[in-house]
Formats: sequence, C-alpha cells, structure tokens
Amino acid sequence: MRVLKLWRLYAWMDLTWILQDPITAVTYFISDLFVNLTLVVGALLLAERFDGIGSWSRDQVVFMLGYAILVRGIVDGIFGFNIAFISRRIGRGQLDHVLIQPQSFWLALLVDGFTPFSGLTATLPGLVLMVLAGQRLSIEVSPGWLGLFGANVLGSLGVILAFSFLWGSLAFWSPRGAEEISSSAMRMIDQLKPFPLDGVAPLLLGGLLTVVPAGFVAWYPVRALLGIAAPLPTGLVTPAAALGFLALTILVYRKGMRHYGYTGSQRYHSMGHRR
Amino acid sequence: MSTAVKKQWPESQRHRPRPAWLLFARQCRATATMAATGQLGEGPLFLMDYLLRFLRVAVLLALWRIILSGKGEVSGMTLDGVLTYTLISEVFAEPLAGRTEIAWLLFQGDLGGRFLRPMGLVGQLVAETVGRWLVGLVLFSLPLLLLAPLLGVNSAPSSPIALGWFALSLVLAVAVGLAIDLCFGALAVAFHHNVYMVDRVRGGVTAVLSGAMLPLALLPGNLGNLFSFLPFAAMASAPLRIYTGTGPIGPLLVSQLVWAVLLWLLARWLWQVYRQKLAVHGG
Repeated sequence: MRVLKLWRLYAWMDLTWILQDPITAVTYFISDLFVNLTLVVGALLLAERFDGIGSWSRDQVVFMLGYAILVRGIVDGIFGFNIAFISRRIGRGQLDHVLIQPQSFWLALLVDGFTPFSGLTATLPGLVLMVLAGQRLSIEVSPGWLGLFGANVLGSLGVILAFSFLWGSLAFWSPRGAEEISSSAMRMIDQLKPFPLDGVAPLLLGGLLTVVPAGFVAWYPVRALLGIAAPLPTGLVTPAAALGFLALTILVYRKGMRHYGYTGSQRYHSMGHRR
Repeated sequence: MSTAVKKQWPESQRHRPRPAWLLFARQCRATATMAATGQLGEGPLFLMDYLLRFLRVAVLLALWRIILSGKGEVSGMTLDGVLTYTLISEVFAEPLAGRTEIAWLLFQGDLGGRFLRPMGLVGQLVAETVGRWLVGLVLFSLPLLLLAPLLGVNSAPSSPIALGWFALSLVLAVAVGLAIDLCFGALAVAFHHNVYMVDRVRGGVTAVLSGAMLPLALLPGNLGNLFSFLPFAAMASAPLRIYTGTGPIGPLLVSQLVWAVLLWLLARWLWQVYRQKLAVHGG
C-alpha cells in the first residue's frame, strides 16, 4: 500500500517535471525514442533483409524486439535516476542519500526511480511492435497466455536488475574504478538482447544465459510466448532464473553493504572524488 | 662580499627554444600517456569491458553464420567476407567510432578550462582519444586478431595492397569521425548543453549509418546505397570495404577525403560560432 502511495507521488513529480518545460521534455522523448529503436534496429534490418533470422520469421523477430524494448522501458520507468545503474549511486556516494530516508532501503530503491511518464519512450514503441507483430502471428491471447507473459516480463526485469546489481556491487569495494560497471553490464545486455539465439554453439549459449544473461531478456521468454518451444515448462525458466540471480545478487549486495558500513563513502572526504 | 660564482651550464645543456612542432609532439605524447595510464590507474575492473566485448564478437560471428550459412554470395559479400568485416570492425571499433571526450567535458562543465591550457583544444582531445585507443589496442584488438583463427575467421586483408590503402583509409575515417564528434559537440552547445541527448543520438546514428554494426550492402532495399552517400559511411564502411576487397578503393578514398575536408571546415565554423556561447554558460 505504501509502495502505491509513493509511486503515485513520484509519478506526479515525474509529470510535473515534464510539464514544467515541455520543449525540453519533448526533445528528451524524441531522442530516447530514437536511441531505444537504434538498440534493436540492427536486428530489425537483418530480419527485413533476410525475411527473418535463422529459424525465426520476420514477425517473430519483430515481436521479440518489441518485448525487449518493453522490458527495457519498464526498467527505465521504475528504476530510473540510476537505480538500475546502481554502481553510479554507490561509487558517487549517493547511497547515503537513500540510507538516510525514513523508510526501508529496499522500499527506497523500489520507489526512488519511479518515472513512469519519462519511461514511456520505450514502453510505448515496445507495445506497438508487439501488438503489430502479434496480429500478424495470430497469437491467441488467453488469460493463461497473459499470465505467462506477465511472469516472463517480471522474470526478464529481475534478470536485468540482478545482473546490474551483481556487477554494481563491486563499487562497494572499488567506488571509483567500478562506478560505471553497471553501465557496462547494461550496455552489454542491450547489445546482445535483440538476437534470436537458436543455433548458437552450446558453450556460447550457456554464457549468454549465465555469465551475461542476455538470453533471458527477450529470446528465451519469447520462445515460450510464441510457442517456438513448449510454453510449459519453457515459460517458467525465465522467472526461475530471475529468482536464482536475485538470490545471488542479494547475497553479494549484503556483503557489499556490510563492507560499506565499515568504510562509508569517499565522497565527502577532503580528497574524495566528485567532491 | 659573496664570492659565489654563477654556475655556467655546458653549451649542450643550455636552454634553447624548441621548434613548435617538437613541442606540440611532446604535448601530444604526454597527454596521450596521461589518458592511457588514467584508465589503468583505477584497478583491473576496466578489463570487464574488454571481456564482454570478446563475448559480443563471438555472438555476432555466430549470428552471421546462422544468417548467411548456405546462402552463397549475398550482395557481393560471402560469409567469410562478412566474418572478416565484422572481426576487423570490432578490432578497430574505437578508431572507427571516432569519439572524443568532448561530450563528457561539456557534461561536466570542464570544457571552458580546456581553452586555458597551453595546447589547442583539438590537439588535446585527439591526443587523449589516441591514448585511450592504445590501451584497447593492446588489451583487446591485438588479442582478438590473434584469436581470429580460433574463432574460424580469416583476419587477413583481401591483398597486401588493400592493407596499405586500408591504413590510409583508417586515418581518413578517424579524421571524419573526430570532425563529426566536434560538430555534435558544437550542436550540444547550441542546444543549451543538452549533451545527454545529443551524445546518445550521435551514438545511435553513427552505429547504424556508419556500417560498423552491419555492412551497408546487407541492408534491405536501397538503404545501403542511400547510406553510403552520407558522411557516416566514411567513418567505418569505407575502410572496412577496402580491407575486405568489397569496394572500389579510389572512389572510397576520395569520398572520405572530401568528407574529411568538408566536416573539419564545418566543425571549425561551428566552434567559432558557438565558442562564445560556451563561455557565456561558464564552460
């Protein structure tokens, strides 16, 4: 309940930020829209040129790209202001700003970056691509399919955040050196997510589902949603993987927090960086 | 009364004014060294970027094999040619992207101070950029070239002559890329320092239009032809086509030279116009 109240408050702040300078907001929207599309345009162009990629048809690829953009849009919309890029907050000493808030740390992380209107630049085009491709693919949208879709979107979201936080935790030990490590992790996910990975060598595929789990961001869940693989149990793998990654991340993150409890941030030292 | 005798330095050690070019070369070397060592000074975590890039290359090569396997020659490119194109594009990814630190300097408000240094702004930016490339060259590009046989890719150029022309084309590509970067930097000043927006758009535009991500010949319809006339194609597509022997050397080099001259003139003009605005904003 408190989450919803705080989300409403943050959504209002996000809206007022947009309305106070609509011209700037529009330029941001257009540039973000453009950038989000360029992340997947390579795969889109390849699918158009070769009428699909590998065993995937063009429409299946478009649906997958829509899913990938949608998930990224949700990350941007709920975990904005560098929550998704947590190493920046840790490295810059901004974690203290979260810790002094009169609410639990995890609740603060859940609401602090809630910018649903700013995040529309990715969620809307993602949805449009999915709907257009879904119509051509004649997907039967049943309550069961929607449930599977919701679970997989949450799973993909969890995998992305866990991966970013897992790498980002290094900033507890190396605030300056690892300040941008979440950005590197997210960039790699963004670059590898838009391709269907059927036919990729097992070793490489294993790496893309574990070391850099880009396969769970769009490819694996969409296989289940489009019936390329059996919806069950394939559709449950991404949510399960997300739980596994999140558990590992929480372990590492807590260890980092304990370290942080002893060392604190360099930011406010006389020779601290970014001072 | 002091009996101290003023020390007489030998003739060879007395200060003599150095030629301007030598001073500039030393300034560039020192700046490049600082930029290179600056990356190494924050611990080994920066290596993660390179490890992830290796993974990315492996995925891209695997995807091309899936897409082009059994298709023979497509738009003048064979599977082997595309693999070489992709590998060399990744080996020279940093020079082909032609990105300086100008956007970051604008974002931080540090650019104004750069005008006060005893070295031209362009010289500083280029020297820093080259310094950072050197780290990538040692830690990523050379290992990737050595690993090419293991990845099943022939990294050799189409001919020894093509390698020579590629070197020249790469220099021109860097010149075009840096000029485009400076133009975008000036536009960021023009748009009231909306650096974030301009830089992200620049990254997206160049990645798609330069041919660094996908060979332009493999784009659908006439897009490849259309994009090859844009300046961005001079940044990556031209040198890579020369390397793989899939493009006419002469016209590609001439187009790069023309774009380099035009874009540097444009960059110079834009900075003359907007430098005042930068000063008003405080750097």
